Amino acid sequence: MNDIVLDIQNISKAFQKEKVITEASFKASRNAVFSILGKSGSGKTTLLKIISGLEQQDSGSLFLEHEEISAIPAHKRNIVYLYQDALLFPHLDVFENIAFGLRLRKIPKKDIVKQVNKMIFDLQLEEHSHKMPTQLSGGQRQRVAFGRALIIKPKVLLLDEPFGALDVDTRKQMQQLCKQTILNYKITTVFVTHDLKEALLMGDQIGKMENGVLKTFINQSEFLNDPTTGAKEEIEFWKNIYKNEERF
Amino acid sequence: MKQTRQIAILYKVIFVCLTVVPVMAGLIYALLYSFGIIGIMNNGFTGKYWIAVLLSDMFWVSLGYSLYIALVSITISLVFALSISLFIKKRNITISYLFYIPLCFPAVVMAFYSFQLWSKSGWISRIIYQIGGIKEISSFPDLTNDTLGFSIVFTSVLMIVPFFTILFSNLYHSEKLHELKKVAQNLGASSFQILIKITIPVLLKRSWFTICLFIIFVMSSYEIPLLLGKQNPQMISVLTMQKLQRFNLNDIPQAYTIASLYVMITIFVLTLLSIGGIKKRFITKRRAYA
Repeated sequence: MNDIVLDIQNISKAFQKEKVITEASFKASRNAVFSILGKSGSGKTTLLKIISGLEQQDSGSLFLEHEEISAIPAHKRNIVYLYQDALLFPHLDVFENIAFGLRLRKIPKKDIVKQVNKMIFDLQLEEHSHKMPTQLSGGQRQRVAFGRALIIKPKVLLLDEPFGALDVDTRKQMQQLCKQTILNYKITTVFVTHDLKEALLMGDQIGKMENGVLKTFINQSEFLNDPTTGAKEEIEFWKNIYKNEERF
Repeated sequence: MKQTRQIAILYKVIFVCLTVVPVMAGLIYALLYSFGIIGIMNNGFTGKYWIAVLLSDMFWVSLGYSLYIALVSITISLVFALSISLFIKKRNITISYLFYIPLCFPAVVMAFYSFQLWSKSGWISRIIYQIGGIKEISSFPDLTNDTLGFSIVFTSVLMIVPFFTILFSNLYHSEKLHELKKVAQNLGASSFQILIKITIPVLLKRSWFTICLFIIFVMSSYEIPLLLGKQNPQMISVLTMQKLQRFNLNDIPQAYTIASLYVMITIFVLTLLSIGGIKKRFITKRRAYA
């Protein structure tokens, strides 16, 4: 767990004069999921876009496996950013969407078929492999986007509220499937969400972002005991509900 | 509820009366004329005009020439329209109203401009002569009324490019191409790979049917080839009109035969394309549920 893959040091970013991120720092360990909890507009998405190379920071450093990557363009970083919207390529079917990254890397056709079929099986998409994106449900589309990102075995996977647009049941299923698949494929992941439970469920490490300031926690119990995270209030709320239930 | 349904039916009837009925009436009239059932010189049912047209080189050469002009015009237009729309998006330029102006010009006006531009006594010829590029005005190559149809293609391109540029620019937004490009970039695609594997396929796939319709539209264009085309080969509409307006009344049934045949070929090709699309969707579904 102490092997650091992603090391973010004092990242700051402003759009025009509005400061979006103020000296954000965190370290993500190998094969672990780092959850960042934060409300809309807290700077989470901008932070992920800076890590992926889609945005450039004003100051601060990014280290991937101890190498400074700020000057490396997005397509050469081997860090994949997954949007809330699945954004599947509309002219390609499920198989080809997942195979996209492998075809770019000119991997032999036989290997592509093998790897993509395995990914399709792991993501429980066997029945849908030749469907076009418009023929899929929201959850299925998100799974395809997830598979498309995972198959190229990125050094870091950045998930930006990937289940935000899903209904409660699908969201639960996707959380479990996502966690299990990340474990199986051993990929270091930064997971951003505004949902407290999801942050706790998905993350091995955890941080909270508020008004552009990122606060990291050593472990889950520190997070749960911190009054600023809202976790205590949530626990109290459910305790009270339980007590009231017992009274009746 | 009942009233809404009645209004919907009424609208459908009006639509059919204004669009389908006149076209069908024209087609039936042409068919009857081509088979000798009606018409001044006709004496009853005959297939001789159809046989004459089908066996003549004139029709097939004209059809092939029309297809050649259409394919070349559309291909060049698509290259220009794609380049312009992608450049506009890259530089974040808003499409000016100036871009819509060529769409407002009648085809005959555009053809006339092209004639002034490219004929032996036209502007380009004069400019080249003045700067010493040619010794005599007559040395300027034949770019109007030429066999390759240079000025027909040029004029068609002028008229088509603005339409496809606007179409591609709108598709760029509706297909979220900006975001898709970022996804592809993030997955490791270079700018060239994004262009070849995402931008162009998405835009062309979405506009495929419009492209097919434009090929048919250019194939059957009349004013531009009439002014800028050669006597032989002629584009299909010019050939039809010449047959129709000749002093020889016996040519009129042949004109209707050519017109009917062209419509049939067009409908056949469009049907094939539609069946192809349906079949592809069906196969995709079957494979998906297999």
